[in-house]
Amino acid sequence: MNASAIALVGNPNVGKSVLFHRLTGAYVNVSNYPGTTVEVARAAACFDATIDLVDTPGVLTLPARSDDERATMRALLHEPLRAVIQVGDAKNLRRTLTLTALLAELGVPTVLALNMHDEAGARGVTVDAEALSDALGIPVVPTVATGGEGVAQLTHRVADASTPQPLLRYDAAAETAIADLAQRIETQAPHPRLTARGMAILYLGQDSEVEAWLQQAAGEASAEFAATRGIAHAAGVTPAALAHERGEAAGTLAARVTARSAQSSPVLAHRIGQWVIHRVWAWPILLGVLFAVYEFVGVFGAGTLVGLMEETVFGGILNPAITGFVQQHISIGWLANLLVGEYGLWTMGMTYALALILPIVTTFFIAFGLLEDSGYFARLSVLANRLFKLIGLNGRAVLPMVLGLGCVTMATLTTRILHSPRERLITIFLMALAIPCSAQLGVVLGLLGGISFSALLIWVVSMFAVLMLAGFLAARLIPGRRIPLVTEMPPIRLPLLGNVAKKTVGRLKWYLIEVIPLFLLGTLIMFLLDQFGALPAIIRAGEPLVSGWLGLPKEASAAFVMGFLRRDFGATGLFALSHQLSPIQAVVGMVTITLFVPCIASVMMIIKEQGLKVAAAMLALIIPFAFLIGGVLNHLLRAVWA
Amino acid sequence: MSARDHAARVPLSFLLPGVQARVDAIDEAIDPTQREQLVAYGLAPGRPLVVLQQRPMTLVMIDEVELALEDSVARHVWVTRR
Repeated sequence: MNASAIALVGNPNVGKSVLFHRLTGAYVNVSNYPGTTVEVARAAACFDATIDLVDTPGVLTLPARSDDERATMRALLHEPLRAVIQVGDAKNLRRTLTLTALLAELGVPTVLALNMHDEAGARGVTVDAEALSDALGIPVVPTVATGGEGVAQLTHRVADASTPQPLLRYDAAAETAIADLAQRIETQAPHPRLTARGMAILYLGQDSEVEAWLQQAAGEASAEFAATRGIAHAAGVTPAALAHERGEAAGTLAARVTARSAQSSPVLAHRIGQWVIHRVWAWPILLGVLFAVYEFVGVFGAGTLVGLMEETVFGGILNPAITGFVQQHISIGWLANLLVGEYGLWTMGMTYALALILPIVTTFFIAFGLLEDSGYFARLSVLANRLFKLIGLNGRAVLPMVLGLGCVTMATLTTRILHSPRERLITIFLMALAIPCSAQLGVVLGLLGGISFSALLIWVVSMFAVLMLAGFLAARLIPGRRIPLVTEMPPIRLPLLGNVAKKTVGRLKWYLIEVIPLFLLGTLIMFLLDQFGALPAIIRAGEPLVSGWLGLPKEASAAFVMGFLRRDFGATGLFALSHQLSPIQAVVGMVTITLFVPCIASVMMIIKEQGLKVAAAMLALIIPFAFLIGGVLNHLLRAVWA
Repeated sequence: MSARDHAARVPLSFLLPGVQARVDAIDEAIDPTQREQLVAYGLAPGRPLVVLQQRPMTLVMIDEVELALEDSVARHVWVTRR
């Protein structure tokens, strides 16, 4: 970490992360969906290695209200910032300048990168960067971060960063309150870099991070701040009033430097964007998208590629060669067994991770990246909103849920884009319970798809029913109000293949680093249980539950033991038994193991995001629930389907 | 005094697609944080907008911003037709 830093700040979805990548060469997860930078990223700047560049999550409003906004505010308060590069959307100057107004008040040296000015141009919007630069007294550089345009100039102008000229004076009552509070802050808790006036404005706006900082710096005296704020609020100096005045001032300046040419017809991307959420056309388009994803991930990835890897590469070439080599050179029986036996680290663990899982997650992440960058997910949240309303959520939760179909662990982290703790809790719980990750989906499709379409359909319907039922109950039992959906539609864009590739590689890296050690650990545990003859004991112990209640062969107990490590690992255990399973047993087994505990990595992530108590409560709920549903399904199917 | 000065304030959710309007007020029925959010998105009193569609959600265009609002929010945004 360097002693001095430059932060990239801006509204959501304006291209901060792409610019960050351009300025550092480091990888961050970037996409055409607001809120994909869930944590502050940092890397050395490529134009000056002594400076750390800090990428912050997008802020819709400052004073901070959401987790993302608080993270950005923390960076402003605590990072040793030399300057800020504000990234703004050229076609949405009002919102951009509302943030600039606040940076001006905080006294932060700023450079404004007016990004996506190509998109603005396509919509007939031009911004006079020079006039804007004159009005603000800071460098303003038009950029197209995706194409690298203007980036070189931006790096040259960083040295010229200066504090923007104030954009407004608030009304008299507000100015009096601000001056009074600023003076108290100046004497009792001055910030080393930020002005007392800016801190006062944020404190009046009820920014929780500024509040925490002042409380720590001023100690007892902070009670005085609170009293001053109370009086100001009573006099009408409210957070909303201050924000409104900033918006008006920003709008005035934006109008002066923006020119709009009348357009004869809306751009094609705009029209596509509307078809995608059209009340009629939206649904055939959605079906088409789902079908394309199924063809690519389900048929090509899980079928063709897995077949190629498993049978040809591993089964035909690698495994015989490695097994032969090990048996030739290692004479210690148990060691050879550990490597290439039935529960061998290579023959079971690595083969499974690389031959079965890798092709599926790779194709899934490519498809996900393409949809993400096209701007489709934001529109999907509009379509899904009505359904999600039933389970106490709003359409925004569609992104983590769909990502969960790739990797639940990653998706658990992404729930930070949701606006309330209640929504996050419900979403994380539902994903832990009923969203199968791609690895598991692959195994399920392989096993049930091999039996019959109706078996697969029963599994899908059961999962959906459990998801809706659990969500319906959770929404009623977890206190708090549902937040209605208000969301911006990002422009429909043609995904850049380079960007999708970068993202896919980043996600795969994360996935493999997480997955391979777990597979090896899981294999090792299975090997030890097998070596010391513990498996028969476990199988006996689980018999009443597994054979009696679920109606599965007693060997399936082993699969549930494996399921504790990863659900898909457990599912594979069932897969291995498939020749001795009836269709009903296969469906019941797969439903139970899908609902059963999520993998260790995602439990860790739940603990990290929600705390040990919540995670333990979730597990205590999920495990019996999985067996309950499995048993009910078993008895139901035997009654009607046999 | 022109008829325009007496134009009725109606909920945003009542307007047909294609209609232009100006935001008058955001009702207190919407939770304060969400009200701040709307203003930040650009849906602030005094600003002009165009309704793009009403189903499955209200979709409006404010300058270059396309904003989707659930009915429970759109019905508490008061607007005047232009």
